[in-house]
Amino acid sequence: MTRKIIFNLIQVLVVMVFAPLASGLLARLKEMVQSKRGPSIFQPYRDLWKLFHKDEIISEDSSWIFRFTPYIVFVTPVFVTLLIPVLTNYPLFFAFMGDMIAGGFVLALGGFFATLAAIDTANPYGPVGASRTRMVGFLAEPVFMIVFFTVSFVAGSTIPYIVQEKWVSPLSNFFLPSHVLLVLAFLMLILAEGGRIPVDNPAGHFELAMIDESKSLEYSGRGFALMKWGGYMKMFVLMCIFLNVLVTPWGMASGQTVGAVLLAIPYLLFKIFCFLLVLVVIESSFSKLRLFRISEFLGAAFITSVAAMIAQVFLT
Amino acid sequence: MSVIAILLLPLVAAALVCLPFKKVWASGVTVTSSSAVLVLTARIAWMVSLDKTVVSGLKAGVLKWISVDGLSALILLLIAFIGAAAAIFSVGYMAHGNYKPKKLRLYYANYNLFIFSMLAIPVFSEPTLVWIVVELTTLASALLVSFENTREALEAAWKYVVLSLMGAGFALLGFLLLFAAMQASGSKEAYTWSGLVNAAHSMPPVLLQMAFLLILIGLGTKVGLVPMHTWLPDAHSQAPSPVCALLSGIETSVILYVILRLFPVMQASPNSHAGTWAIVLGLISVGAAAFLLMQVSDYKRMFAFSTIEHMGIILTAVGLGASAANYGAVWQIVSHCVTKSFCFFAAGAVLLSAGTREISAVRGLIRRSPAAGAALVFGALGITGAPPLAVFLSEFSILKAGLAQKHYIATGLLAVFIVIAFFGIMMQVNRMAFGVRENDSDAAVPDDHSGYSGHFTPGNRFHLPFSCSLALILTAVPVLVLGLYIPPPLQGLLSQAAAVLTMK
Amino acid sequence: MSDTTNQLLSNLNALVTGLFLLTAFGIVAMRQARGCLNLFIVQSLLLAASAALLGLRYQSVDLYGVALVNVISKPVVVPWLLRRTSPAEIYTRREVDQALNIPTALLIALALAILAYFLGLPLLKAVAPEFRGPNVPIGIAGLLLGAFTLTVRREAIPLLIGLLAMENGAFLCGIAVSRNLPLLIELAIATDGLIIVFIMGVLTRTVQKQIGTTAVGELAALKEAPVRSAQREETK
Repeated sequence: MTRKIIFNLIQVLVVMVFAPLASGLLARLKEMVQSKRGPSIFQPYRDLWKLFHKDEIISEDSSWIFRFTPYIVFVTPVFVTLLIPVLTNYPLFFAFMGDMIAGGFVLALGGFFATLAAIDTANPYGPVGASRTRMVGFLAEPVFMIVFFTVSFVAGSTIPYIVQEKWVSPLSNFFLPSHVLLVLAFLMLILAEGGRIPVDNPAGHFELAMIDESKSLEYSGRGFALMKWGGYMKMFVLMCIFLNVLVTPWGMASGQTVGAVLLAIPYLLFKIFCFLLVLVVIESSFSKLRLFRISEFLGAAFITSVAAMIAQVFLT
Repeated sequence: MSVIAILLLPLVAAALVCLPFKKVWASGVTVTSSSAVLVLTARIAWMVSLDKTVVSGLKAGVLKWISVDGLSALILLLIAFIGAAAAIFSVGYMAHGNYKPKKLRLYYANYNLFIFSMLAIPVFSEPTLVWIVVELTTLASALLVSFENTREALEAAWKYVVLSLMGAGFALLGFLLLFAAMQASGSKEAYTWSGLVNAAHSMPPVLLQMAFLLILIGLGTKVGLVPMHTWLPDAHSQAPSPVCALLSGIETSVILYVILRLFPVMQASPNSHAGTWAIVLGLISVGAAAFLLMQVSDYKRMFAFSTIEHMGIILTAVGLGASAANYGAVWQIVSHCVTKSFCFFAAGAVLLSAGTREISAVRGLIRRSPAAGAALVFGALGITGAPPLAVFLSEFSILKAGLAQKHYIATGLLAVFIVIAFFGIMMQVNRMAFGVRENDSDAAVPDDHSGYSGHFTPGNRFHLPFSCSLALILTAVPVLVLGLYIPPPLQGLLSQAAAVLTMK
Repeated sequence: MSDTTNQLLSNLNALVTGLFLLTAFGIVAMRQARGCLNLFIVQSLLLAASAALLGLRYQSVDLYGVALVNVISKPVVVPWLLRRTSPAEIYTRREVDQALNIPTALLIALALAILAYFLGLPLLKAVAPEFRGPNVPIGIAGLLLGAFTLTVRREAIPLLIGLLAMENGAFLCGIAVSRNLPLLIELAIATDGLIIVFIMGVLTRTVQKQIGTTAVGELAALKEAPVRSAQREETK
């Protein structure tokens, strides 16, 4: 029992510690593809460190929501980490609290508060970004739902630990059309939710074109650090779900010892590194879509997820 | 062997006309080859009508699927006849258009390929092979429809190709399912029309029905059955008139023949509703066409709608299902083919003399060009089923068979629609032939796209080219004669064709 | 062959058909003519893959033949023919307005795919177990989606691709249920597809030359009488 709690805490720590690293790595890899040197992969840590030591300025006209939001944005991914398989392929202490749908909603809660906070400050760019985020969110929501429903339809459950079992036993299940199509749809979702390139340009600093970034424009100091860190962790958590539940349900600890769990960390990092490579290829080969084309991108994701479901229906 | 010659002749002709000789060469080759095909076909039809045997070819390759029975011999004969007549008509008609020699060669090459693909349909008995040839008819005729390269002609050709091929896609699935049904029946028969009939009773009804519906809808598109007919009036009015005669007069019937081939199969299968489907779809086609006829402004379009009407009549007749109705159906095919091609030749003659396709622009035709005017009136009377002519007898026999079958509602509706169509066509033609123009200024608006100059001044008589008159006379003979007297060999062929459609 | 291998082959086939369905959706929605063509090539390759997998599964040499014919004719010869016959302009064109906007079209396409399932279900019950599989419903879905493409697109090349996609769909169904179709016929059908491409290519070129566009959907002059005769009245 205590051991499972400890493992759970290790998971949370892993996510907290390595999330900025993944982000730094992605930035570096992208720069390398463009034949530039790029910042150090530890730059996000330095940023966070710097921000934590700076003063915070809060607008007089903002309400409690503005002050409260960074904590929510920071805590929600941590919360989700408790539910999903990051290092182990058996449920840990807090996993009973919710399934994948619950995880999705908890992440959405963070996004919701970030949106409110962006509107709260009356900075003109905040609401623009907020409404755009909502638009993407509204379009992504049905896809999330269909993906979860398809998963539960194929695997008979939405508990991630049961789902990951399904794809590899027997191994031929890995090639089920529903599985592959789900992976495709989920990949598109990650791109949309994480604000990656066909939907949003995370490296862009042009306020009018921003979607995700503009929500934290008004933050400074510790609040900004928490917002950023929360963003890193959200991406990390999404990648963990994608990799550990859908794509590569291998390499996780099945033993109950601390050693086995610690050994799973390099495996996880390796998988994430590979995924980042894929992401870099995607980000370097596509350009950002016009705002009104985003609906088509997510429409494609929707069709893919429904096709996954249809293909599963056709098989039975 | 002569069956293979029938198929080879148009192909050889298609190759020969491409040779860069004078204009006469291409038309001469085409007329010669199609006449030769007609003679050969007549011989085959004669043989089939005499000893009721199937003429088989060799055992190699696709040739092993060649077989001709009563129904296919009849269709073959019709194709050859109309093909020859239209070739003769083309000579004068195309010479009138002042086309470049290269364009003319293209026309005749396509013409021969089109004839080849149509001849191949009744000759082959393997359904999927027939499907392929049906596709070829579309493709070979596409460039004939777009021949004049006007905006309208291109639109018509595009619609024709896209919709026909779309239908063919559905039909392909139908034929593949038919093959699956054949396999599922466990029968050792070959996958041919007759093999299908023999194996039908043990096929899974679901597969068979699905296949039938797909083929009915798919090929029905190309026949011009009503919900899928939208392309037909366009294509059949925009093509050059001899091609229209082929498209409307014979191509639709040939495709319908493929659908008809499935009826004996469906009848052999327990509780199939093929007859009901045919009656419903047929009556819808007849009815819609009869009403659409009244609002056309283009006389070639009017005859195109009349084709839809006649296809509906034939389908309804087969749907009625008795042997008498089947006899009426095959007879209707014959009479429609000769009459409709005559009508389009007449329409072509009118177009030559009047220079426009608009009904409202043609008035008092009988005075301007007595031959064209008389032909138009005769054709209209023939196609609407005026008493002593061929269509009258065939329609009458269908209605009689329908009443004998106690299908009172279907027969009644059919009769009403036929009468409506009669008035619809006759009203327009009457005005065109005998009408008087209110003033001279609004007339003779030459159709800018048609390529003909409007030499239509009062008192200026127009003389039809000799070959056009010849083709008109050639097709007028059966229209007139078949209404009064059916020669015994044809009679034998007809009853054999009807027997193929009727379940033993 | 062992059970696990068979299971793997069946699942791989199912995967291929699933991706086939996805490409069919893509052809409905893809804006660029070039993209449409590429999707069609992928679809044909998937069809070939499905034929090869089924051939492997049921030891049918004919199906290898189908696979081979598909690999050669569609991905290689079709683009080549199109390049030869059609104006180069078609590749640069984007379809700005479809008859329906893309999300609506995709939703209708989804409904069609579900319809295909209900059409395919009774068929599957009628054939022997070894002929069952996802090929039949997905093939029918491919057919319907191809037909749907024809109704929503206006550009020449996407329309042509829609036609060929219909044929692909019919074939995907066909390789499952009518497996022993003579190879000669398969070859003839493949040739027929090439003739379609040729004729439509020539037609497209003529349209482009005469009218200056390949948006054939804009050709809509031929209608029933009232419009034309009304115009005539006005000119009087």
